[in-house]
Amino acid sequence: MQLARRKKPSALISMTSLIDVMLILLVFFMVTSTYLDLDMMPMVQRSDETVAPASSTAAAGAPLLLQLSADGSVRLRGQVIAADSLAAQLTGMATAKPNLRVLVLPSGAADAQALVVLIDAATQAGIADLRVIRPEGG
Amino acid sequence: MKLKPRRSLTMPDPLVSLIDVVFFLLVFFMLVGRMDATAPFDVAPPISILGEDLPTGGLTVSVGEDGRMALDGVELDKSELITKLAQLHENMPNLMVRINAHSSLRLSVLLPLVAEIEAAGIGDVVLVVTPNPI
Repeated sequence: MQLARRKKPSALISMTSLIDVMLILLVFFMVTSTYLDLDMMPMVQRSDETVAPASSTAAAGAPLLLQLSADGSVRLRGQVIAADSLAAQLTGMATAKPNLRVLVLPSGAADAQALVVLIDAATQAGIADLRVIRPEGG
Repeated sequence: MKLKPRRSLTMPDPLVSLIDVVFFLLVFFMLVGRMDATAPFDVAPPISILGEDLPTGGLTVSVGEDGRMALDGVELDKSELITKLAQLHENMPNLMVRINAHSSLRLSVLLPLVAEIEAAGIGDVVLVVTPNPI
């Protein structure tokens, strides 16, 4: 009687070391990763370096000067504008003057949050040309 | 004659599914995670409702509430920071700088810093903000 030859079992690669490496990598990425959802607003852009054409500046007329006080309140021609009506008022002005240029004169004691709120309101109103003035030595 | 039962050469089933899950988690964390140098002090960026997407790359300048500054996680004083940025700008002309400033930072610190970074030749400076959760 001829017996069938037993098939030699194929060599099996050990997966244990692979799993170890993968687990270490997983823990590394879990620990080192940050999941902050952050946005940005431009402060200096290369396009700012180029001078605006004279025609567009003339069409925009006189710029609108907004003062940002230390307490975060916004003043226009000496009058305090309520925070909730700021965007609406700016929208009205931007509608009347489409290329309106807004200059923001902030107090050095105002904080970054107040400036961001003002920029948000201007952006909401559709004002594309907004510049922040830095007082000398401020 | 009693033969010994042959050992199974295949991996046990639960281990295979574990490897699959671990592998998916690994890929997920590699894709979603973002490694960034954190400032050696607390920084809570201002909240904005109309921020734009934060571009990747560039350098991060962190400024704490008390005016302490750090470049990519390394604390520096202002003159060192500007010198370092100017040196880096020479090698990378299109360098972008992200300013990660605390929301309570006074503008008397923030605005001169922006002006000095611009004066160092860097033409792309952005302020990091936190999107409004509402």
